[in-house]
Amino acid sequence: MKDIARQSMSIKVESMDMLNGQIKMEAHASAIYLAMASWCEQNGFFTSAKFFYKQTEEEREHMMKIFKFLVDTGGSPISPEISNINHDYSSIVDVFESTLEHEVKVTTSIHNIVKKARELGDITTERFLDWFVMEQVEEENTIRDILDMIQVTGTEGVGLQMIDNQVANWID
Amino acid sequence: MELIYQSKYYTLYQAEKERRFYIDFGQKSIPMNLCQLIALRHKVMSISIEDHFDSDLNKHGFEVLLLCNKEHLFILNTLEILDLKELVEHGFSALGIAATKQIASV
Repeated sequence: MKDIARQSMSIKVESMDMLNGQIKMEAHASAIYLAMASWCEQNGFFTSAKFFYKQTEEEREHMMKIFKFLVDTGGSPISPEISNINHDYSSIVDVFESTLEHEVKVTTSIHNIVKKARELGDITTERFLDWFVMEQVEEENTIRDILDMIQVTGTEGVGLQMIDNQVANWID
Repeated sequence: MELIYQSKYYTLYQAEKERRFYIDFGQKSIPMNLCQLIALRHKVMSISIEDHFDSDLNKHGFEVLLLCNKEHLFILNTLEILDLKELVEHGFSALGIAATKQIASV
């Protein structure tokens, strides 16, 4: 019997399901960072707003990378529905702490897909995710550095203005 | 045509020469390429069977399935949906593009 299904698709459907879940997560992250950019604009943190505009684009690029991988492997990418985006933050510290929390969740999700792909013997998906694993190291490190800078600068007096100015160091 | 998997109500076949698949729904047999079969899987697996036991969430206990770019329409009851879920799960395993059930449920 000819293996028509395998000839048409290079990855396992379970991997496709998990990658579709990741597409949704990246789209959600992109929407969250856009909401954070909006908060920053409304509260006078204009440099931080620029940082989050850049982040929102990056997350969308991640989403599209997975989307195109599913197309290339003969899978079926699903355009995600996004809802429940929080627009309320108590401070700029809260914004960056929420960002780190979200990045950790994304890292955990990617690691889970890698583990499952390994279990399924889906080497194609496992190797594809190598880039994402290293990208998450960079993403988490960036936010940790910003939180360290916030702690060193302090939020008293002109601290908040200095924090916003220094965020420019992480926009390239 | 080669039989891939048969559930209580439905049968999945592979037609080598045409390089496509057929699902025999009883009333009619529908040809599908792999993309259409994956789309069917997505629709079927997205159905919440729990909703069928809550009259607020699914008043009549039916699901409307539009298949192959709206070419075919099916109205299926709870038992038929459960059976179609079984066909999809085992059919994809038999086709070699899904894990066996034991691995998938880990």
